Amino acid sequence: MGMAVTSIRDASRRNVLQGWYPKRSSMVSFLSVAAFFILWQVAPELGWVNGRFTSQPSQVFLAGIDVVLHDNFFYHARISLTELALGFALALAVSIPLGVLLGTSQTARYLIDPPLMALYIAPTLVLLPILVVWLGIGMASKVAIVFLGALFPIVVNTMAGMREVDSKLIRAARSFGASKFDIFIQILIPGSLPSILTGIRLAVGRAVLGVVVGELFVSQAGIGHQLNTYGSSMRIDRLLVYALVVSAFGYALTAAVRAIEAHVRTWRPE
Amino acid sequence: MMMDVFMRRQALILGTFSLVGIIVLWQVAVASGAINPFFISTPAAVWEEFLVQLGDGSLLTNIAASLYSFALALGLAVAVGIGLGILAGWFRDAEAALEPFIWFKYSAPTVAFYPLFIAWLGYGTPTIVAIAFLFALTPIYANTLSGIKNVDRDLKRVATSFGGRPYDIFFRIALPGSVPVIVAGLRLGVGRALTGVVVAELFGANAGLGYSIAYYAQMLQTTQMMVSIVVIILLGVAMTQALSFVEKQTDAWRTSHDT
Repeated sequence: MGMAVTSIRDASRRNVLQGWYPKRSSMVSFLSVAAFFILWQVAPELGWVNGRFTSQPSQVFLAGIDVVLHDNFFYHARISLTELALGFALALAVSIPLGVLLGTSQTARYLIDPPLMALYIAPTLVLLPILVVWLGIGMASKVAIVFLGALFPIVVNTMAGMREVDSKLIRAARSFGASKFDIFIQILIPGSLPSILTGIRLAVGRAVLGVVVGELFVSQAGIGHQLNTYGSSMRIDRLLVYALVVSAFGYALTAAVRAIEAHVRTWRPE
Repeated sequence: MMMDVFMRRQALILGTFSLVGIIVLWQVAVASGAINPFFISTPAAVWEEFLVQLGDGSLLTNIAASLYSFALALGLAVAVGIGLGILAGWFRDAEAALEPFIWFKYSAPTVAFYPLFIAWLGYGTPTIVAIAFLFALTPIYANTLSGIKNVDRDLKRVATSFGGRPYDIFFRIALPGSVPVIVAGLRLGVGRALTGVVVAELFGANAGLGYSIAYYAQMLQTTQMMVSIVVIILLGVAMTQALSFVEKQTDAWRTSHDT
């Protein structure tokens, strides 16, 4: 009885999925987003909320065009992107070799693991004010905070990836006369690549957060600087334009790394 | 004999060695004149300042203020995150309806909306709590969702064939089965809530550890800043370790329950 009911339900669900119309779940997602935007547009007009504090989708859209045309948008975006790219490149250059060292040497791991884990767990953003004292309010302090934010997830995941590599592969390679270097290039690096990419994906989120927090804290230019300017002058429409740009950027970057990650995982030999 | 102890306790010995090494190096680097103490202070000065701040009560006031915001934010995040996670894990339509917003929340740096919260809630505790709440919400929601959704199918089928109603399946199988995953989400949430509190306090507050760092940064007093920085790092490590411990306990409890 129970089985029969289940199989009928399964069959009807399969029919729904095979039909030409979109999946039920995407319909529901679409409707809920649409409802959100309609509510946001209508609520201030009906006087449910004060439009000064919430703005409206239509106003944000117009402000978006305005910002791109008249607000030096690309200048600020370039500053923020430069900080992000420099900090992230530095983090990659330091963290992957460090992760490889920690993953392959037990003594190094025992020595560096406790301070490393403490900094991985602790909010590195608390170091922002002291970085500003050291490096000033310009781009250098933001590059440093991006570097610190991105460093630890990559180190920790590279280390984990190195240790997860199949030891049978290493033993097999060694018995066929592979040198340490061969093992490293042919087995350790490809074997730990998925894990390294996971670290990079986590690091991307922290890096974008680092740029925004750094610029909001103190800056003379950049997306975070503009967020601060429009926040304190109550230009909610422009504020939301910048906040949405940062969010879309963070989303796109994370999604891109996730796609590479999925690709590498399927490509990796079993 | 000595060697034997060393090999068994290698992790502990080398770990302690490295922490002590960092402190000694820090002190020596300044004492030898290699680095100006204005930039990094010294461990001895930080320890003295720690005792001073402890003595005049300002450290405890700041810790209390931060923990108060932290507790409020985490409490809210737990209530909302677990509530929505259960809803979305149990009803597919609820998951589909929430998914776009969660994705947005997941990839957007929450802090970008900080000025908006200032406009809505003003400077101070409400904004700090709101930011920390949003920081902590995502992992708690995501883990609850996956815990409820990925309930052991065999258990569910057994319960159904013995006449278990959805109510029974939820309370006897889905909910207990997802406790370890939810606790793991909680551990991530604790770290993120702490980050949220401290970051929001950096921007605007009148008490708290983050506030104290920003305050002394304006006066360029490195030693005073270091006290709060070290306390925050220790708090983060202690709380995460405590939840890792709870996680192991619930995991062990689940395994023993299964067999």
